[in-house]
Amino acid sequence: MKQKALLLFPVPALVLYGAFFVLPAVQGLQYSTTDWDGYSPSFQNVGLDNFRRVVTADDQFSNALGNNLKFLLTVVLGQTVLALFLAVLLAARSRGSTWLRGLFFLPTILSSVSVAFVWKFIYDPNFGLADQLLRPLGVTSSYLGDEQKAVFFVGFAQIWFHAGQMMIIYLAGINQIPAELYEAARTDGAGRWQQFRHITWPLVAPATALVVAYTTIQSFKAFDLILGLAGNPPRSALDILSTRIYTTFANNQLGYAAAESVVFMLAIALVTWLQNRATRLAHR
Amino acid sequence: MSNLSRRSLLFAAAGSALAACAGPGGDDEKSTSTEGFDGPVEGQLSFAHWRAEDKDVLEQIIASFVAKNPKVTVRQDISPSNDYQTTALQKIRGGAVGDAFTAFRGAQFTQIAGAGVFADLSGQADLLSKYDGKLIAAGNDKTKQLGLPYQLVFNMPVTNVDLLAKYGYTDLPKDWDGFLGLLDGLKAKGVTPIAWPGGDAANAGQLLNTMVMNNIPTDDALGKFETGEVKATDEWFVNTLKQYAQLRPYVQNGANGTSAEAAAQLFATQKAALLATGSFQAGAVRKLGAKFPLGLYAPITTTADKAKYEGVFNATFILGINAKSSKQGAALAWLKHLADPAVAALYANGTSQHVTVKDVEYTNEDLKSFAPWLTKKTLLAPRFQFNNLDVRSAIENATVQVVGGTDPAKAAEAAQRVIDQKK
Amino acid sequence: MKTGRRALLGFYSLIVIVPLLVVVGGSFKTTQQLFDSPFGLPTHPTLDNYDTVLRQQNLLRVLGNSITVVAVSVPVTLILASLTAYAAARLPGWWGRVVFGIFAAGLAVPAQAMMIPQYVQFDRLGLRNSLTGLMLINVVVTLPVAVFILTGFMRTLPQELYEAAELDGAGAWTTFRKIAVPLSFPSLAATSIFLVVMHWNDLLYPLLFIDDPAKRTLPLALLDFQGEYLTDYPLLFTGVVVASVPMVLAYAFLQRHFVAGITAGSVKG
Repeated sequence: MKQKALLLFPVPALVLYGAFFVLPAVQGLQYSTTDWDGYSPSFQNVGLDNFRRVVTADDQFSNALGNNLKFLLTVVLGQTVLALFLAVLLAARSRGSTWLRGLFFLPTILSSVSVAFVWKFIYDPNFGLADQLLRPLGVTSSYLGDEQKAVFFVGFAQIWFHAGQMMIIYLAGINQIPAELYEAARTDGAGRWQQFRHITWPLVAPATALVVAYTTIQSFKAFDLILGLAGNPPRSALDILSTRIYTTFANNQLGYAAAESVVFMLAIALVTWLQNRATRLAHR
Repeated sequence: MSNLSRRSLLFAAAGSALAACAGPGGDDEKSTSTEGFDGPVEGQLSFAHWRAEDKDVLEQIIASFVAKNPKVTVRQDISPSNDYQTTALQKIRGGAVGDAFTAFRGAQFTQIAGAGVFADLSGQADLLSKYDGKLIAAGNDKTKQLGLPYQLVFNMPVTNVDLLAKYGYTDLPKDWDGFLGLLDGLKAKGVTPIAWPGGDAANAGQLLNTMVMNNIPTDDALGKFETGEVKATDEWFVNTLKQYAQLRPYVQNGANGTSAEAAAQLFATQKAALLATGSFQAGAVRKLGAKFPLGLYAPITTTADKAKYEGVFNATFILGINAKSSKQGAALAWLKHLADPAVAALYANGTSQHVTVKDVEYTNEDLKSFAPWLTKKTLLAPRFQFNNLDVRSAIENATVQVVGGTDPAKAAEAAQRVIDQKK
Repeated sequence: MKTGRRALLGFYSLIVIVPLLVVVGGSFKTTQQLFDSPFGLPTHPTLDNYDTVLRQQNLLRVLGNSITVVAVSVPVTLILASLTAYAAARLPGWWGRVVFGIFAAGLAVPAQAMMIPQYVQFDRLGLRNSLTGLMLINVVVTLPVAVFILTGFMRTLPQELYEAAELDGAGAWTTFRKIAVPLSFPSLAATSIFLVVMHWNDLLYPLLFIDDPAKRTLPLALLDFQGEYLTDYPLLFTGVVVASVPMVLAYAFLQRHFVAGITAGSVKG
């Protein structure tokens, strides 16, 4: 190898990460084959029993998985499209777009606890903004109380919260595209749509991959937002995987929670891998 | 620093990180003072609890405590009740906070007791004698008095006495048909009969207490879901769910999506006649500007002759002393201070909650109007018999879904399926 | 096209602004006023909430703690992560993928699974209940995100640039500093914004680690407005405003560098 020094670059990060992240994570997950409650001095080894239960015989877990996938789909689609759209509209440097970029980013700087409280208020069926706007149109709902739709309403709040952040990734991606490409296209008489279709879209593929993967992980981990909106522990209609795992921990079933965490990680890995393939296909 | 030594420093850090990781149950033994309760009343005492709304009143109480014991200071370590269940417990167990601390009645108390964190208070006769013996049973673990429940609350709907009287309801019905008649009458007058925070699990579940109090086969039935002795598909529980279904027309619009704050607001502004949570929200309702007199009333789910109970109470905010604390002497003095009737009165009247301490004079108007319930036939809140959160959620979730339109029998089956999986 | 663009941006601006106005407006209302007219302007604006928030909390102290933590943890994370990302993007063959994979895998780990071992670990090292401990944990738990984003971008930089520099005899370190860092400025800026937001708002670890009120960070202080049964919305909203002001100011002040940095380079059509 020409640049042996390159091998040293990740060392400081690896050391800290290994010591304070990997090690405790492995430690936390090693209980997945036990029935440890989290505080007793002893525990039983139960082999793969926890995993069997998580996968085949836990309605609460499969319900949370289902909710999580609905939530994920809503947020990944909605947020990615919105973020790209905003980034394309605001890519040009002008005073106006600088301000709007700042504005759209603003929700991201709030803590998730406060975002949850704001949206809980917006979705209130008696006092909320959503009701005040939609009731005149004949639309009523109990919003977060609706068994089927609640998770989509939370998805909307999540998009409001994070779309600005993803817009930033897209802006960074768009701005790494050489300007000459656009100039050449314009000289060839390409319109805005054609420039987008043939230059921006294929060249922001890495950014899209990032946005989609990042959004996916965020959707799996949207924990504070759900607890803030739904209470703790959340009702079954709003339970997602991370809140389910948290409840299992709170319920003193550390071993079982560890097994749930392992399944959770596998789910993320699988979804991310599928998306990676899909993104590559879409950007061809 | 040379590259080499920097690197070795990193590895040293990693090594110590490795050494610092704990195995299961591997709690390092913090030094516990040998003096125990006889230790000196000095130093900084940490009082861990979850009542952010009581912070100011407790500061006053701390000030009077410190005036009597100048060598001691007390710090309130407050976590919201949600987090108190997990993070605070970890800290209390490790002795990081909570020389004196509080626990919820039910699962948490059992768990902390099981982990051996409570110092045994059984020998403290003069402290225990300040309390009403019946009411502190919830702090009893078999033979030992480990904790002292401090708050006495009524987990039953709060009423707007004026609004009910205005429509001629001064003597409230003592059976289920009468109750439905009351709700119907209120609805006909354009009042929302019940404000129920169905969107907030912790508050929505309070209604379960009174809905089951006369339906349960035995007083400890809710705790038996976990052992399988009682099933959600049992007739009495399905009937309870059917009664929940009968409440559908009488709760506010979008009840399942209503937060506790919004439900309290509906009640405080006289849009709703009953607030289906509990006496503990009296203070909050007053803060929202309610001027009308408050009462308590529980739906009776049976015919009048079959009703065993008129209402539900709970003894919680269980005070305890940390077995790992090195300041148990000071912690005991603090508990004794809280048990002083004058101090307890300050707490009760300042926070609008009754206390379990004897000979306390209630001056707060709401406490005075709730006082008759101290001697009525009430059941210790059954909801806190659940030790398994998932089982509790399954049961409470069934009630919320039924109000939202799910068929009672189906909801019962789904709940029982979950319970069977969680045993 | 122009008016269409304006209309769309205007519409989305409204969606973003209205909830924010509820928060800001709410901080000047009593609870009653907030529920009576949640979206109206405060008719009788009150400063009581601000008085309570500023009096009850040792806010300067809390603010100072949050700033101290972020001021250390963000640059450290950024430096460690960019070094790692550079290596991941440039190491030949499997090496790069392995480095990337090790960190990316961390993204999937739920915080709940590590929480208790980390608590015990930091406690034994005497790092719990300290700002240093918070800085360290911030760095560690956000390394995966930072490496993930930065590697994604550094991979897109043209390899020829590096190779040219190396042909001129530049070592790995020089190439990193002189070529990779300046060219990655947009992604470094974006990542640092993310990190600031994440470190600033983190609640889990302060909740877990900090006991001493003198060491509390802002999100932790905000929890005081959450009662057992009810939350005092106006007070909470006030707390949110107070907690966000430093971020908004920092953003307004730095955005010339950051957002402009992100859009450094060319002007797009």
